[in-house]
Amino acid sequence: MRETDIAIIGGGPAGLSAAIYAASLGAKITLIDDGLELGGQLIKQTHKFFGSEAQFAGIRGIEIAKKLIQEIERCKNIELITNATVTGYYEDEVITIIQGADGNIMKKLKAQRIIVATGASENMLPFINNDLPGVYGAGAVQTLMNLYGVVPGNNVLMVGAGNIGLIVSYQLLQAGIKVEAIVEALPKIGGYLVHASKIRRLGVPIYTSHSLKEVYGTDWVEKAVISKVNKNFEFIPETEKELEVDTICLAVGLSPLSDLLWQAGCQMKYIVELGGYVALRDDHMKSSLDNIYIAGDVAGIEEASSAMLEGKIAGLNAAVSLGYRVDNFLELNINLRKELKELRANPLSEKVKIGLEKALIKREVD
Amino acid sequence: MIKKADIVIIGGGIQGCSIAYNLAKKGAKNIVILEKNTCASGSSGRCGAGIRQQFGTKMNCILARESMKIFETLSEELDYDIELNQAGYLILAYTEKEINQFKKNVVLEQSLGIEAKMVTPEEAKEIVPPLNLEGIIGGTFCPTDGNVNPLYTTFGYAEAAQRLGVKYYPFTEVTEIETEDKRILSVITNKGKILTPIVVNAAGGYSGPVGKMAGVDIPVYSQRHQILITEPIDPLWKPMLMSFSENYYFQQLPDGGVLGGYGDPEHEIIGDNVGSSWQFSRTMAKKMVKLVPILKEVHMVRQWAGLYNMSPDAQPILGEHPQLKGFYMSVGFSGHGFMLAPVTGRLIAELILDGKTSIPIDKLDIGRFKRGELICEPSVV
Ligand SMILES: Cc1cc2nc3c(=O)[nH]c(=O)nc-3n(C[C@H](O)[C@H](O)[C@H](O)COP(=O)(O)OP(=O)(O)OC[C@H]3O[C@@H](n4cnc5c(N)ncnc54)[C@H](O)[C@@H]3O)c2cc1C
Ligand SMILES: Cc1cc2nc3c(=O)[nH]c(=O)nc-3n(C[C@H](O)[C@H](O)[C@H](O)COP(=O)(O)OP(=O)(O)OC[C@H]3O[C@@H](n4cnc5c(N)ncnc54)[C@H](O)[C@@H]3O)c2cc1C
Repeated sequence: MRETDIAIIGGGPAGLSAAIYAASLGAKITLIDDGLELGGQLIKQTHKFFGSEAQFAGIRGIEIAKKLIQEIERCKNIELITNATVTGYYEDEVITIIQGADGNIMKKLKAQRIIVATGASENMLPFINNDLPGVYGAGAVQTLMNLYGVVPGNNVLMVGAGNIGLIVSYQLLQAGIKVEAIVEALPKIGGYLVHASKIRRLGVPIYTSHSLKEVYGTDWVEKAVISKVNKNFEFIPETEKELEVDTICLAVGLSPLSDLLWQAGCQMKYIVELGGYVALRDDHMKSSLDNIYIAGDVAGIEEASSAMLEGKIAGLNAAVSLGYRVDNFLELNINLRKELKELRANPLSEKVKIGLEKALIKREVD
Repeated sequence: MIKKADIVIIGGGIQGCSIAYNLAKKGAKNIVILEKNTCASGSSGRCGAGIRQQFGTKMNCILARESMKIFETLSEELDYDIELNQAGYLILAYTEKEINQFKKNVVLEQSLGIEAKMVTPEEAKEIVPPLNLEGIIGGTFCPTDGNVNPLYTTFGYAEAAQRLGVKYYPFTEVTEIETEDKRILSVITNKGKILTPIVVNAAGGYSGPVGKMAGVDIPVYSQRHQILITEPIDPLWKPMLMSFSENYYFQQLPDGGVLGGYGDPEHEIIGDNVGSSWQFSRTMAKKMVKLVPILKEVHMVRQWAGLYNMSPDAQPILGEHPQLKGFYMSVGFSGHGFMLAPVTGRLIAELILDGKTSIPIDKLDIGRFKRGELICEPSVV
């Protein structure tokens, strides 16, 4: 059976940063990602990033990915397994890997430490006919357009006015696609107002306190029915509006992809501020199990910038726990944590901070 | 929570629910089911729910036949569709010794009105066209064997029981059983105490520890048993495929997924671990592909595990404990407790309420181990 020091599951900003950091200490790394290319969410993010300057704000997501991948390729002690899904973490601490979309060979890998950086999955919404072709997640639409140059349809209804809904709407408009409307169940827009005003100026109505009730169509989406909702998100009768759309784009949040952590038996907790079930962790990003670390969206839905910092912390501490040495270990830890703190020192991070407090395993000495 | 009951059943799996339903149906009142988790969260919700009538002892054949009779009309009786699928069991033989045993079984089964018959390898292939006959020298087929949806069946019993007045308490764990003068006094749970003269141990994989709470030593242990399911595929075949010597059982379910597992008593973990191993999925995949080669193209989507509650002769332990009045057991089913639940539930209810049963189960008492009268059933996985 193949063996390695640290297996990193997921090659998004968190996993890539963890790999680079741990490899710089000399650890043997195996990085596994199910994408055709490394980079996770970043490879489709053509917009300039928000966030702190130290963490690449102002740079486009795809550029960040390129930089990280270049660094990875320079590291001799990082083995890459791409186009491969980690399908399980088993009781003998073996992870199983299936390569290729139709792969039928199960590879086994035994690692002394595992960093789970699997990111998140898009939330689905229950409405009538939600399985008709034409119903997409916003992330999928972004991938189609920005990675493969394919437009999803001609007339889009965007569901959700958080940052993702707003950014993807804008990118659809840039691609010449008509966005009929954005509906948002909450009474106010969740994303940055600059994004929202840009979209409004382009003539797209944003209906707050509205949600998608139903879609119609024979073989694909032909029509959507939206309706006003009350405080409890119940549809208010006789407020329905019909929209002629062929594409529904759901931007209704992300949930941490934590299945492997469940299977491993990490202590898990439902923390609404972090997007769902997450593993409890200490400030080294170590879960309740000594050999498992976490980083990025799987640890709580946040941003690429925080994912990279968490990745570095997990990478550093996983390598040191295996006996790899770095001179200023304590200082490095403190600095990385300080950077994270500064990154989160804005009103928009308040919710995340409450969530992180609930997820923290406090250690006796530090 | 209720303070006093006439009968407390520990365990809300298929056994506990069937017993409760049958007790209530016979008119008993003040029945309580205590379940530490949720309905069917134990082995009952994890099992293959295969139902066969092909056994090697008269008693097991009769019990299984009677159970199948109940299953046949159970959806109507419980007013809950349990998805009965009578597609048969094709049990394959790989050795002469097995063939000889099967011949004896079939004679016995036919004498008891069970429709099993011997089949040649060619006939087996007619019944299951994608079969690879390598190593197979014959088998038996019983067309009226089948399977059900284990969750729906357990829910069906639980809901029907509750309609008849049974109280079902989920998330209620029994932690102690109080006795006095070789009689049951009460059970203590994480939610309080219930006074009761009668306790039924239907705790599945935890029946040993529950016995200890009452100061009773039940000769059972629990062992993990794993199972997997594939993605749904076009219909390929219907019956359950099973072998005792090659050690497997699997079947394509009506919704298209192929479900099955194998027993591994030498390596599997003893105790209450219900985690999964990659060794299982690899070995099971090999077994499945060898027998039905076309499955090579199919993905597994899920694997999980449950507990077999094993007794020394792999037969259930049923009845009241001779040294503890009011302490009834329905335990030790050793991997075939789902198929028997309709009939054993009825018989335990008869035993508690009438003191006698319409089908004799006295041989399945706990005393048989001391007496050295173990039951020798040749046909179990
Ligand atoms: C539209 C949009 C706009 C955004 N804009 C910004 C922004 O401006 N600034 C900012 O900081 N953040 C932004 N974000 C958020 C940012 O993209 C994420 O927070 C970040 O990508 C999380 O990084 P990650 O490494 O944790 O996960 P991901 O980037 O999701 O990477 C996880 C990787 O793991 C792989 N994987 C998962 N499971 C397995 C498995 N079992 N086996 C193998 N591989 C697996 C996934 O396929 C993926 O490649 C945006 C997000 C979206 C959707
Ligand atoms: C993988 C697998 C495949 C199987 N396939 C088949 C098959 O094809 N056919 C067949 O007939 N059988 C099969 N079996 C066996 C079958 O599942 C069991 O024999 C049957 O489900 C036992 O039912 P039960 O109600 O006794 O146990 P369970 O369903 O385990 O119920 C016992 C319940 O007691 C509860 N409990 C335990 N301790 C306490 C306590 N202290 N307080 C309160 N509650 C407690 C548990 O939470 C549990 O829900 C299989 C088993 C497994 C694991």
